[in-house]
Amino acid sequence: MLPSVYHGIWRAAVHTLRTSRGTPPRRFLSSCDGLPVGLADAETIFALSSGHGRCGVAVVRASGPASATVLRCMAGLTRSLPPPRTALLRSITDPQSKEVLDRGLVLWFPAPHSFTGEDCVEFHIHGGPAVITAVLQALGSVPGMRPAEAGEFTRRAFQAGKLGLTEVEGLGDLIHAETEAQRRQALRQMSGELGHLYQDWSYRLKRCLAHVEAFIDFSEDELIEDGVLNQVDRSVCDLQAEIERHLKDERRGERLRSGVHVVIAGATNAGKSSLLNTLCQRPAAIVSPIAGTTRDVVETALDIGGFPVLLSDTAGLRESPDLVEREGVRRARERVEQADLTLVVVDCTNLPSDAQQASAFLQEHLRSVLPSQEQPETVFPANRFLLVLNKTDLLPQEQKLKLDGELRQVSGLSPFCLISCHNNEGLQDFLTVLHSHVKTLCGDPLSGAPTLTQARHRAHLQQCFAALAQYQQYRDIDLALAAEGVRLALTSLGRITGRVGAEEILDIIFKDFCIGK
Amino acid sequence: MLTKKLPPLRSFLVQVSRHASHIARQQYDVIVVGGGHAGTEAAAAAARVGAETLLVTQKIHTIGALSCNPSLGGVGKGQLVKEVDALDGLCGRAGDWAGIHFSILNRRKGPAVWGPRAQLDRERYRKFIQSELLSTPRLTVVEGSVEDLLVTEPNPEEPGHHKVTGIRLENGSDPISASSVILTTGTFLTGSLFMGQTMSPGGRIGDAPSSAGLSRTMRERLGLRIGRLRTGTPPRIVKDSVDLAQAHLHLPDSPPTPFSFLNTHTRCKPEEQLPCYLTYTTPGVERVVQESLHLNCHIQQDAKGPRYCPSIESRVLRFPGRKHQVWLEPEGVTSDLLYPQGLSMTMPPDIQLRLIREIPAMHRAEIHTPGYGVQYDFVCPTQLSPALQVKSTQGLFLAGQINGTTGYEEAAAQGLWAGVNAARWALSMPAVTLSRTESYIGVLIDDLVSRGVTEPYRMFTSRAEFRTSLRPDNADLRLTLKGFEEVGCVSSLRYQEAVRVRDSLHEALAALQSLVLSSPNWKKKLPDIHICEAKNGMDVLQYSDVSFEMLASAFPECLSPYMEFSQRLKIEAVYKRHCDLQRKEIARIQKEENMSLPQDMDYISLPVSLSNEAREILDRVRPSTLGAATRLQGITPAAIVHLLHYVRCIGQKERQRHRSQPDQKEERKEDLCASSASLPQ
Repeated sequence: MLPSVYHGIWRAAVHTLRTSRGTPPRRFLSSCDGLPVGLADAETIFALSSGHGRCGVAVVRASGPASATVLRCMAGLTRSLPPPRTALLRSITDPQSKEVLDRGLVLWFPAPHSFTGEDCVEFHIHGGPAVITAVLQALGSVPGMRPAEAGEFTRRAFQAGKLGLTEVEGLGDLIHAETEAQRRQALRQMSGELGHLYQDWSYRLKRCLAHVEAFIDFSEDELIEDGVLNQVDRSVCDLQAEIERHLKDERRGERLRSGVHVVIAGATNAGKSSLLNTLCQRPAAIVSPIAGTTRDVVETALDIGGFPVLLSDTAGLRESPDLVEREGVRRARERVEQADLTLVVVDCTNLPSDAQQASAFLQEHLRSVLPSQEQPETVFPANRFLLVLNKTDLLPQEQKLKLDGELRQVSGLSPFCLISCHNNEGLQDFLTVLHSHVKTLCGDPLSGAPTLTQARHRAHLQQCFAALAQYQQYRDIDLALAAEGVRLALTSLGRITGRVGAEEILDIIFKDFCIGK
Repeated sequence: MLTKKLPPLRSFLVQVSRHASHIARQQYDVIVVGGGHAGTEAAAAAARVGAETLLVTQKIHTIGALSCNPSLGGVGKGQLVKEVDALDGLCGRAGDWAGIHFSILNRRKGPAVWGPRAQLDRERYRKFIQSELLSTPRLTVVEGSVEDLLVTEPNPEEPGHHKVTGIRLENGSDPISASSVILTTGTFLTGSLFMGQTMSPGGRIGDAPSSAGLSRTMRERLGLRIGRLRTGTPPRIVKDSVDLAQAHLHLPDSPPTPFSFLNTHTRCKPEEQLPCYLTYTTPGVERVVQESLHLNCHIQQDAKGPRYCPSIESRVLRFPGRKHQVWLEPEGVTSDLLYPQGLSMTMPPDIQLRLIREIPAMHRAEIHTPGYGVQYDFVCPTQLSPALQVKSTQGLFLAGQINGTTGYEEAAAQGLWAGVNAARWALSMPAVTLSRTESYIGVLIDDLVSRGVTEPYRMFTSRAEFRTSLRPDNADLRLTLKGFEEVGCVSSLRYQEAVRVRDSLHEALAALQSLVLSSPNWKKKLPDIHICEAKNGMDVLQYSDVSFEMLASAFPECLSPYMEFSQRLKIEAVYKRHCDLQRKEIARIQKEENMSLPQDMDYISLPVSLSNEAREILDRVRPSTLGAATRLQGITPAAIVHLLHYVRCIGQKERQRHRSQPDQKEERKEDLCASSASLPQ
């Protein structure tokens, strides 16, 4: 199941596009669904606006009616707000614990003179991940604040007439790209320990809701014991305690690896592990002329031109009767699915000598290595893969030049690099191309930045926790309102683990109970 | 009081033409085929909207017959009854007239999920419905069997698109023409009855099967996708043969609460109500089922049956080794039969007898009519618009079991809405839709047309996302005003009552809010209640131990005028905070639902960036609004944005084109993206 991190994104876009038909811009009406009772319904969003990677300064931005409050309580400006659009050096503190998080610049942009046309605040803080995480989490703890959805700042800007229509024409593509980045990021996390934890909570919440709903819809006519609700009470209590513990736990279970995820993939014996070893300048992976040497994923952290990269070498893709190797291939495919950038390595001695045939061969190869695309009619997005033709030392010089020249004529294959891991020929050019790719990817604050996802998860978990309190509050007074609490909790958690529909709840009801009326 | 005195039946029967050859006219605005719960509501609603309406049914005598259980309402279903009543439909008032055992289910679980329910007297229900229909202006009732549906040849410019022109009856008379035809054939469309190893054509025991022509036209000429479902009914038990002392007595509410917003009490006096009885199955029942499986063709068939109204066979097969409830329900004041709810079965009659006698209270019971199973065709409802009109056939509307639902209330709700829209279509008025944010009827129709069904569809409160706003108590405020002002299916009498209620509630809420006291002063007024931080009367009324009556006696001068609304005000106070929170979400969804997608869009070749999977889903389901499209599995937000962008662009081009060469359709095209009414194609 894909996590539906983009739940609610498009409707905001829909709203934006619609109002562009001539009606005056109205206040942005994004979803507050899942916002439990007690949290303010004002819509103030925040996000890391600068890219990540090694940088001196990071910019965190907030937009919406609570911006002024945030500025006051986090920059210690109790008396008055700073003059508009003027940088001010302040200590930035956590509004709850009053702990100083960083010392940095704050800027106040009152509406309408801001990027989004709303009240905006910018925090220019030190670029380390610990500081960024702390500031994002502090922002998330202020009532009424939530992490921005993909493209949301842009949409608000358009809403306020700050962007032209042409900029918004690309909104669909923007949202697509950003949701894709979020999806990959979420996939990585969901396949880990944390993912299992959230899935388990989601499963238990679904059962709680199904049992409450069964009690509401069927208990008058059917044999549904009162004990069902007591079970739900216990489950809700347990969940509340676990979520609370999780929110307090600073270790948060597992370390989320920061950096652009680059995966090396391709057929067996193409030289993938040699490429890894060449890039990290040490024999991190075993290389041998035997096909299928690499069986598990070999992971190594690199610094490419100042940007953090998490490089993974994977098993060669082939059908194998060997169970261990098959598992390796499955893991390889999973990695490619989650990758920000895939280096598709091809043994260039395997290429047909005819240029056209070689091009067709490579196209076919890309299709078999890269995950199936949502938009089959378009070619693979060029920023998601890099074709590496290895072992050029084994080609005669003139054939190599011919191949290079002819392949450059073919669209859809570019970018590609001819290298030899054996004698390092072409390596410098390859590193330049790789560097520019990584740089582009790092410019997108969403890819590879676990802090943002963490802040998002935290906000949703807090909402989930608050909603469960509504169940407790109404359990004995009004079961419909109590059920609403569980439903809201599940919606909040569903922002992380994927949406849960009414039919799914009914399925559980019919599986667990004999309903006959 | 009951506002409608039941007129003597005989005087109305003379107005009815018994045979089609005698009917006064050969042309109607709306023809309704079928006289069940969907057909009767449809015919009455169409006539209320102002259409000359003809109801064709096999037997006038069976109009309004309760084919299965003698009860109305329940959890989720009761909400539908209240909504049908709020739109001036029949079933709520008929229930108040015919009810003999009233109870509000879920009384302890919160007003949003209360389930008004009643056991009915079959005779009284039927007679009330018949007398209502026969006295409805603009409505003619005729006995007859429909041989075929008359449709035009498809428009060459739009292949596969037809238009309904009327019907032909089996007696060979001239065709009867109409702009709209509503089919409410229930289980009669290619219906088969099953009992033991025998199978016979038909939709209900004792009635003739429907014509094969109708089914053929639907499948072959109109090319509609048809599925097959099954259901069943239990044997009817002779009351005197049951040892009721061995069953648990279940008493009704006293006083009974009526369904209808127009009624303050029911026809049945509190003390005249009849009880129900509860018994349980035994291991013997399971044994009989197991031993007779080879004699039971219905249970061996693979047509989908309901999971929530399963036959006793499927119950014990799915959950073996458990005891299951069996309710023994009265069939009427003078009836000597009992209805064993939960014992629907299709085995041979001698084995049915063996089975029921395994239940202690029925160890000597006699069967009056054996149970049987029905398999029938239904039209996959994703082929319908939210007005319940077949998308590819102008003027053809479907309601009830033919759309894959089960239950009287679900049928009545669809019937009413199909009747309204069929009449509006015939009278050249734009279609109207109900949103899932404002009514259970909207939830029902939206689920049907945008998701389709895989098993008989029944309403549950858990299907309604905005359950706390869509309560049985406020159905009148949600629907009656709109029903009069925008839809035209509500009488002015009912409208005026709803306006009075709305205004009084507003005044009362304002009065409560203006009662602002300090905590010590509240303490003085209500010494038994521990009040902290309450600001006004509304806040105080939210407390679980405060009733409106208590406040009214503390502040008689400003609150006593509203005593008749005490319960509603208490509910409003408790739910206000939650409903306010939901209102924003509702506004957002309504905005999406107000964006129509053209029905003739070619999703497969649409020049936008959409995955093949998304194209196939959109092509198959053809959502009528963007809101419906978002609820489809497999449609990504990016796909929706691309889709919206495209629709907006063609909407602009259309407008420009029409500006240069105006024609009468301009108004309709203008609303391409923005109309709240879905467009006829």
